[in-house]
Amino acid sequence: MASPDTLPELRFLIAKLRSIAELPNSSEQALLALPFRVRSFAENTDIVRQGDRPGECALLLDGFACRYKVLGEGQRQIMSFHIPGDIPDLQSLHLPVMDHSLMALTPTKLAFIPHLALNDLTRTYPEITVAFWRDTLIDASVFREWLAGVGRRTAHQRIAHLICEVYVRMRSVGLAEKGGFPLPVTQAELGDSLGLSTVHVNRVLQDLRRDGLISSKGRFVVIQDWEQLKAAGDFEAGYLHLRMAEAA
Amino acid sequence: MKLNFQPTLVASGEDGDGRLVYRGDYLVAVLVRLSDVQGGLAGRWFLEKGFGPLDTPKPPVFADLAEAEAWLTARLADNVLGRYWP
Repeated sequence: MASPDTLPELRFLIAKLRSIAELPNSSEQALLALPFRVRSFAENTDIVRQGDRPGECALLLDGFACRYKVLGEGQRQIMSFHIPGDIPDLQSLHLPVMDHSLMALTPTKLAFIPHLALNDLTRTYPEITVAFWRDTLIDASVFREWLAGVGRRTAHQRIAHLICEVYVRMRSVGLAEKGGFPLPVTQAELGDSLGLSTVHVNRVLQDLRRDGLISSKGRFVVIQDWEQLKAAGDFEAGYLHLRMAEAA
Repeated sequence: MKLNFQPTLVASGEDGDGRLVYRGDYLVAVLVRLSDVQGGLAGRWFLEKGFGPLDTPKPPVFADLAEAEAWLTARLADNVLGRYWP
């Protein structure tokens, strides 16, 4: 197996796919041999825009990104957050026109992999096709969970749930440490993702800190009481369909 | 019609200072003064709840009550065909 040290750019993709699907060694080698070009994006810049027809898929290598749509009166709905290892526009492989935009929330580095190479890969390696398919199915599962949250969960539940989700996803690719993880999003961005005002987000974060469920240093969140936080967020990790059962 | 701001206490997680906003006999909004919990927004006024045409998915924050009144008045002009009050 190729050493992650010699191929740092693709190590998160391998970690991500292994967290959700079984990958034989030959498939890993093929993934590591994919052609790509690395591009960097500044904070708050678009990576791909609604209406674009991308010829490549973007693998997140470093930083934090989100999918979003802009609605009337400049309102924005963030639909998902993305961490290294994610290919947030994998759908562009089969849905040529982007129906939403993808934005860098922090300084972000991405590897752009040509559709041609990905199509060749999926034709040759059925295990990789299954892994990508599984990834998009999990994507849909996460959207169902978010829909249930925005529709029926309280502000407290939504925020606690999101913190649990990002923590479990980061842990699954080795990005969370010692019960904590970087959450480099502003209160306004949290609000735009959960259908809440910045004012409500502030109130809830204050409550979660005061109740001893989390603490935070800048944009680093420390989980102080995992069980209570899960209960507060009505969080069950099953919808993430990770191979290794979540156990923090 | 001029709006009437009536002081009240609101249990919303801030300091409590709030205003019931009436248009004639109709309660149209509840404003809350933001506390230190809100960092840089402290001291500003938040549209805690708007009714009818003031019900918005992204409630605004105002620098002061005068700014709130201007915004509420403009929005209330949208009372299409007397849908929200006679």
